[in-house]
Amino acid sequence: MLRIILNNKKAFWALLCLPALFILQPYASGDLIAMDMLHPTGEWSARFMIAAMALSPLLSLLGPRPTLIWLIQRRRALGVAAFAYAVLHLVFYVIDMGNVDDMLAEFFALGIWTGWVAMLLFVPLALTSNDISMRALKAGWKRLQRMVYPVALLVLVHWIFIHNNLVPALVHFIPFLLLVAARFFLPRRPIFKGA
Amino acid sequence: MRFLSSLLLAAVATIAFASVPASATGVIKCDAGPASGWKSQETLTNKLTKEGWTVRKAKVDGGCYEVYGTTPEGDRVEAYFHPVTLEKLYVGRRGEVLFRKKGY
Repeated sequence: MLRIILNNKKAFWALLCLPALFILQPYASGDLIAMDMLHPTGEWSARFMIAAMALSPLLSLLGPRPTLIWLIQRRRALGVAAFAYAVLHLVFYVIDMGNVDDMLAEFFALGIWTGWVAMLLFVPLALTSNDISMRALKAGWKRLQRMVYPVALLVLVHWIFIHNNLVPALVHFIPFLLLVAARFFLPRRPIFKGA
Repeated sequence: MRFLSSLLLAAVATIAFASVPASATGVIKCDAGPASGWKSQETLTNKLTKEGWTVRKAKVDGGCYEVYGTTPEGDRVEAYFHPVTLEKLYVGRRGEVLFRKKGY
């Protein structure tokens, strides 16, 4: 029974919704204001993005381990969740700022425009996260999805400069950067036995 | 070996994920002595409101009062005030410094 639930892809989507429930609860009950929602929504978006991006480097480092394969089959859900939490993040930003003038006044701060551009580049990635787009775009689909690398860089800069503090951003990004570096510098493991 | 190091990496990442404290941003630091000698946060927000500020949120950060709100001039900012004198020490907008008192 547990195995059936675990292997159900819809159950995985539901699992990715869980943090949102915990994040939104104190806002819904009026204990926190929109401003307080910016940090948790942004952080979960970055976490899911990094998780989705870390799977390929992990696969080349570790080889085809069952858990990894299981996760890779669900990578689309991770990416779409990262986008959904980013949308939540933007919605709370707009609620918090409350008017266009204030948003324009700070637009050119390094911590702000990087967030806007990351969001903008994220849209086509999310919109093409489906089988129809994959088939239609053929090889172009992968090229398009590689845009997630500049998005991640923008997110890192956004995070560092909005928070005036390197630590939380680096805690999330350094393990990922090490993984990507390891993928480049260590010899690849064959994905399939005998290959 | 590679598997071990990756495991280690995963473990470090997990611990790091789980243990990030909500740390002070530390733009400004106040050496204002024990909190018993401070003016209350309410006194500050009342004073600011009277001066034309809109205060969205106030808290203690780096031993100062940190206020998120809108200045009388209409700028959405983050500002720091001395908890004893309630003097304005710093006004910033997403890291862009709009005002900084000498010595802070």
